[in-house]
Amino acid sequence: MGILDKKLSLRNRSKMLVGIWEDEDKLVEATSALVHDGIHIHDIYTPYPVHGLERIIGARRSRLARVAFFCGLTGFILMTTMIWYMYVLDWPVNVGNKPVRFTPSWIPVMFEGTVLCTAYGMGFFFFWRNRLLLGVKNDLLDDRQTDDRMVIAIECVEGMNESDVLNTMKSNGAVELRELNHGVQTTI
Amino acid sequence: MIHDSLIRERLVTGDKTAADVTRDIARPILNQPTKSWKIGFTLSLIFLGIFGISLFNTIWTGIGVWNINKTVMWGWDITNFVFWVGIGHAGTLISAVLLLFRQKWRMSINRSAEAMTIFAVVCAAMFPVFHMGRVWVGYWALPLPNAFGSLWVNFNSPLLWDVFAISTYFSVSLLFWYIGLIPDIATIRDKVKTKTAKFWYGFFSMGWTGSTRTWARYELISLILAGLSTPLVLSVHTIVSTDFATSIVPGWHTTIFPPYFVAGAIFSGFGMVATLLVVARKVMNYENYITIGHLEAMTKIIMVTGSIVGIAYLTEFFIAWYSGVEYEQYAFINRATGPYWWAYWSMMSCNLLAPQVFWFKWARTTPWFIFIMSIVVNVGMWFERFVIIVTSLHRDYLPSSWVMYSGSLTEIGLFLGTFGIFFTCFFLFAKYMPVINMAEVKSILRNRE
Repeated sequence: MGILDKKLSLRNRSKMLVGIWEDEDKLVEATSALVHDGIHIHDIYTPYPVHGLERIIGARRSRLARVAFFCGLTGFILMTTMIWYMYVLDWPVNVGNKPVRFTPSWIPVMFEGTVLCTAYGMGFFFFWRNRLLLGVKNDLLDDRQTDDRMVIAIECVEGMNESDVLNTMKSNGAVELRELNHGVQTTI
Repeated sequence: MIHDSLIRERLVTGDKTAADVTRDIARPILNQPTKSWKIGFTLSLIFLGIFGISLFNTIWTGIGVWNINKTVMWGWDITNFVFWVGIGHAGTLISAVLLLFRQKWRMSINRSAEAMTIFAVVCAAMFPVFHMGRVWVGYWALPLPNAFGSLWVNFNSPLLWDVFAISTYFSVSLLFWYIGLIPDIATIRDKVKTKTAKFWYGFFSMGWTGSTRTWARYELISLILAGLSTPLVLSVHTIVSTDFATSIVPGWHTTIFPPYFVAGAIFSGFGMVATLLVVARKVMNYENYITIGHLEAMTKIIMVTGSIVGIAYLTEFFIAWYSGVEYEQYAFINRATGPYWWAYWSMMSCNLLAPQVFWFKWARTTPWFIFIMSIVVNVGMWFERFVIIVTSLHRDYLPSSWVMYSGSLTEIGLFLGTFGIFFTCFFLFAKYMPVINMAEVKSILRNRE
């Protein structure tokens, strides 16, 4: 399977500037400097989570928590309805003369169903939002970005002073600078 | 403000860089299997074979080949079920509870503990499924329309709660484990050389690139899943305990069971994690990642949970006396002094007394000793389940139905065989997946505060 969303693929971008870092502190400094200069950062790729980067580049806060809540609510309603239908409406069973309507003995199944729907609903949303799917091809800018290198990708737009951007990256600890043109990378 | 900690000890020793972490942890995956791996895997396959033979005998002849009878209707099978479910709890506990408490030492051990959870739950599920006898109609345990059976399932029964709890626990743990694995599978994808390996690691890495936005969502989903898994882990063993506690069998009919079972599960689970990791750190040269500090932290938890379990044993005894119910009192006196006294005292010595040795620093910091103790803990926890089940059942209200029970060769074979399933899965996991969470470990190399 190819890239899931061709519009998002880095290979189809007309021109990008790519900076490589080996130190997370310098990466954070460089990101702040670029954002301060008004440069729009397309994305940053790191082998491990670097806290705070997403806030610096202005990424929107994830709505995963809200999705989790609604999936949980769905699970809760589904399980309650299921037990009520089976146990009260369709075929009430007299077990030791215990009551059948909304007893505490319903709680374990309702709880487990709620947790299951929350986890899988949220998991589905997570995969969908991040364009993660079994068999999807990766779109790497550097072979070591999942190992020990960190990458900043900036899309060139009209009016952007490319040499200024490259200088900012260089002065903030970039160990390598590259240009990406329709999927072809050249070292600067 | 983030800065390097001057006080805290480093969680990863040896001045490792991110590249070192990848190299060290991916080594078993990228290289040919070692001699010790081959020996361990072959032994596991032998035990798996024992499982196959025992299972074939059980299905082909029927569960009459087990020694369970009308009085002791639950024997080795349910003992083994609770034993494995208990072991399966530490994985999620380490991942979820320690994540919520921001315990960074969990990062070196959570991956193998989560794997252990998945494999242990698979082993556990075998027993109730095959105890059904007619396993081919096992799906009747699910709430299916009446055409599949006479009635809907009974929502008042803890056995049904078990079906929901164990399957939810397995599914959620699998999701938690897999999401945590994706960044590391991507790292391996970018390291392997052969075409087949590249294809499979690429397939399962789902196109992961390590984008900042993805990492932010990844951390959020991990946190929410941890928040969900924590009550889940408590609910599952609570429900397993209600299999017993909602009955009127003396020795089972007790409200202390849920917290007592949960503490026991954490205790035995950490015992198994310690068994696996003491060996893994030596054989796979992970001493810089799974340090003595990690082992010490685990032994402290073993000691605390062992003491909680010990207090539960004593409380049970006290309440049996205090209740004034002669059947309860007899059940407990029979446990300690009846024909199964040896099982009771094995349980007491392994679970209550033995872990007290961890008050001494030497015991907490000597790997070979921790390894022995971790096995003692699991032997004790198996005996605990045997004591609860068999000694409570074998002498019921009617003395004319009193019997003695011991496992048949097939029952013993099934139990030993589940170790075959467990270790075969674990050896394959250790060969093809990173045993330590590389991405998370890389984030703590700098010892930040």
